[in-house]
Amino acid sequence: MRNVTFGNRDKMPPTARGTVPAATVVQPLPSASATSDEFLLNIGPQHPATHGVLRVVVTMDGEVVKDIVPHIGYVHRGLEKLFENRTYEQIIPFTDRTDYLSAIANNFAYVRGVEMLLGLEVPRKVEYMRVLMAELNRIASHLLWLAAYGLDMGAFTPFLYAFRDREEIVAMIEEASGGRLTTNYFRVGGFVHDLPKDFFARLRKFLARFGKALNELDTLLVENAIFVARTRGVGVIGKERAVSYGMTGPCLRASNAAFDVRRDMPYSIYPSLEFEIPVGRNGDTWDRSWVRIEEMRQSLAILRQAMEGFPEGEHRARAPRNIEPPAGEVYSAVEGPRGEIGFYIVSDGTRKPYRVKMRKPSFSNFSALPEILRGLKIADLVAVMGSLDLVVPEIDR
Amino acid sequence: MYAPLERGPIGRVLSGIASLGKGLWITLAYMFRKPITVQYPEQRVVLPLRFRGRLVMPVDPEKGTNRCTACMRCVNICPNHSIDIEKQTGPDGAPLPKPAKYLYNLGTCMFCNLCVEVCPFFALVMSDEHELATTDRGGFVRDLAAEKYRLTGKKASWWQRKFRGSDSGE
Amino acid sequence: MGHFLYDLFYRTDVLLDAWRTAAHQSWAMRGWPVVILDVLFQLGWAAAAAVFLAVNALFIIWFERKLAARIQIRRGPNRVGPWGILQTLADTGKMLIKEDIIPDAADRGVFKAAPLMVLASTFLLFVVLPFGRGLVPADLNVGLLYFLAIGGLSVIGILAGGWASNNKYSLMGGMRSAAQIVSYEVPAVLTVLSIALLAGSLKLGDIVRAQPAFGYILLQPVGFLLFLTASNAEINRGPFDLPESDSELVSGFVTEYSAMRFAIFFLAEYTNLFLAGAFAATLFLGGWRGPLLPPVAWFLIKSYFVVFLLIWIRWTFPRLRVDHLMAFSWKVLLPLALANLFITAVLVKVL
Repeated sequence: MRNVTFGNRDKMPPTARGTVPAATVVQPLPSASATSDEFLLNIGPQHPATHGVLRVVVTMDGEVVKDIVPHIGYVHRGLEKLFENRTYEQIIPFTDRTDYLSAIANNFAYVRGVEMLLGLEVPRKVEYMRVLMAELNRIASHLLWLAAYGLDMGAFTPFLYAFRDREEIVAMIEEASGGRLTTNYFRVGGFVHDLPKDFFARLRKFLARFGKALNELDTLLVENAIFVARTRGVGVIGKERAVSYGMTGPCLRASNAAFDVRRDMPYSIYPSLEFEIPVGRNGDTWDRSWVRIEEMRQSLAILRQAMEGFPEGEHRARAPRNIEPPAGEVYSAVEGPRGEIGFYIVSDGTRKPYRVKMRKPSFSNFSALPEILRGLKIADLVAVMGSLDLVVPEIDR
Repeated sequence: MYAPLERGPIGRVLSGIASLGKGLWITLAYMFRKPITVQYPEQRVVLPLRFRGRLVMPVDPEKGTNRCTACMRCVNICPNHSIDIEKQTGPDGAPLPKPAKYLYNLGTCMFCNLCVEVCPFFALVMSDEHELATTDRGGFVRDLAAEKYRLTGKKASWWQRKFRGSDSGE
Repeated sequence: MGHFLYDLFYRTDVLLDAWRTAAHQSWAMRGWPVVILDVLFQLGWAAAAAVFLAVNALFIIWFERKLAARIQIRRGPNRVGPWGILQTLADTGKMLIKEDIIPDAADRGVFKAAPLMVLASTFLLFVVLPFGRGLVPADLNVGLLYFLAIGGLSVIGILAGGWASNNKYSLMGGMRSAAQIVSYEVPAVLTVLSIALLAGSLKLGDIVRAQPAFGYILLQPVGFLLFLTASNAEINRGPFDLPESDSELVSGFVTEYSAMRFAIFFLAEYTNLFLAGAFAATLFLGGWRGPLLPPVAWFLIKSYFVVFLLIWIRWTFPRLRVDHLMAFSWKVLLPLALANLFITAVLVKVL
């Protein structure tokens, strides 16, 4: 392999060095002794609260959680191996399906990686379209998180309010791409179709309405006294521990660590946009919820700026019909709704990649779960797992 | 920007009670608003033009037949190998640029639209059909050429604008 | 005819009394034992209460589903019958034809008896409920005490259901539910005591008559809120429904129940909802008193208004965690109820 081209590796923050205590290494099932109060509780793989097909074996001492052993792999589809046998264009619809709630962010990360390998520059209009789509996707994903989290907590109404707003976003994306969740909209060099004619009219209407709807959702769920009592001080993870687990996204920012890929490993037009990064103070569950609500507000600001500065141009750069990047490797990362979505693509000069490794935020976030939950009561398990915003297909790929 | 600081004990109690009251007020206000239900199946949502429903090979109203030349591009690009083509053979046994059978597997199709994009003759369209539930797995593999699908409505005019070259980018 | 209709709605008790004395005399003339007539009368009351229970369940479930739907910007059931009124009937029919499963290792006798125990305690509360002027099946001298005592009887049924299911999660759920009901009895009792102090009697008929035009709610606003919260927790509803929630880990005591047994638990829960509303209306809102409309109508309107409040609360708030539940009852509601009682006692003595 020639010339190694790394995306933004020299700008990446240094990793926190530290030893991982033995207790967090996945061990074989602990045997509960017959004399103590310990017993094993198996949650999943079918369970309404685990947000996917996930199995967690909890060693409990009465009501208190002593240890957790997570078992993943129920949704493993062998995608990384599959990618070795598909051409670069054929991989794009599969990246949608790794995390179907942030399909656009996944598309973005992958397509950017391929363009870096090819050395392809995209028109400015494409960059603006990409940011518009990515931020809409972020709002839609956070709304679904809010809806599902409310349902876990026993509040049934925020679910429907959030889905009503999400329906508007998803309808906009459907008009543009043809698909609601698995959009398959990005292509190497740009987009399949241009934005439809009434896209900006709809976006303007949405922006005018959504601020108020978001405040309503905030008041109804996150600021609610019962919710605050259940989440403040629960499931704390400190800044150093969070960084050492490789957590990213809202889970990391809630622990007082201001790391956002859009700021620290910037891509697309984000350096020219003005927005703030919400950072929590304590790293507890309430902070994680607060950070997501604030991120939705900041996404609104980004959408407004992108809409105002939207340039003319082509919606797709001229890319070769057969995408055969020169041999090399690249790591391209974007800030997805759950954290840093990274694609490490190794090309050997043919039409199919040699290796595609996907770095998914839910995997790292989930790995911190044993440490977060140790010592908490079992009733907090649902609250904490919901606040991590896990999507299991992303964990298993 | 940082999360708001926690309030003192009295502030917490008062803001807690206020939040309960505000929540109740919001739900009360919603009781008097019009519901957003679309009463299916009597009412349907209007589907956008680019909606990706079932794949069809429509009949070109001018030509009277489909536009496929069996170039195999769609077969090669489908990520799930859902398409299979058998070419027609002429009287001398040589293959003709027409499909004898165009086998489409609805069960493995993931509605990604790559086949439609790659077809240079605009022979394929993703229709508006999305109510595809069936109890018979055998009905998944269909011969789209024999189906002689007729597109109707806006999708038909959109499709025809594409191959006539007057598509304004909808 | 007009007179008769007016008497039927506005002076039902007078009509009933007149009919009863006439029947007494006629039976006495013919030499039949009058005691049987009294028993038949009471059986008639019981039958009326049973019919009311059934019709009420039908209505209240529909009411809850429609109201919940309106809060959630959707329509609610609207296919079965006009505005979906017959939906509950359809659901009951579905539950009747389901397979009745009894777990292998379950305690069969207790398993079958548990739903009936809960329903019995609910049904017994109809005895002291003043439906209208003089329309009480039995206006006991200790009506209030009876209400509090029998209201706590459902705990036995819940514990029995949890135990007999032979499922450790059902058992835990049943015990949690029982602990919750018992804890929230205390503030309820203290609040109701303030009402008894104000009215000067434990007889529910007297309490209704002793209230001012608007009811005691103006004199006891905190008491009303306390009673509402405590009742909500006692009927295992609203933000206090952890024991029976389906998205938490420990499923409730009804897990192993299917078909008609589950339907009986369900029926008991919704009847309890109505009773909570009815007692709140009787004690705080003035019972059957009100201008123009017949007393029974006022009673129903006030009860369903409180039911509306309880449904509204349920669909707005998330669930309380188990330890919060207990802490809330013992650390918040109990001191408030004690303070309320103290202030009421002082004011009653002084004024």
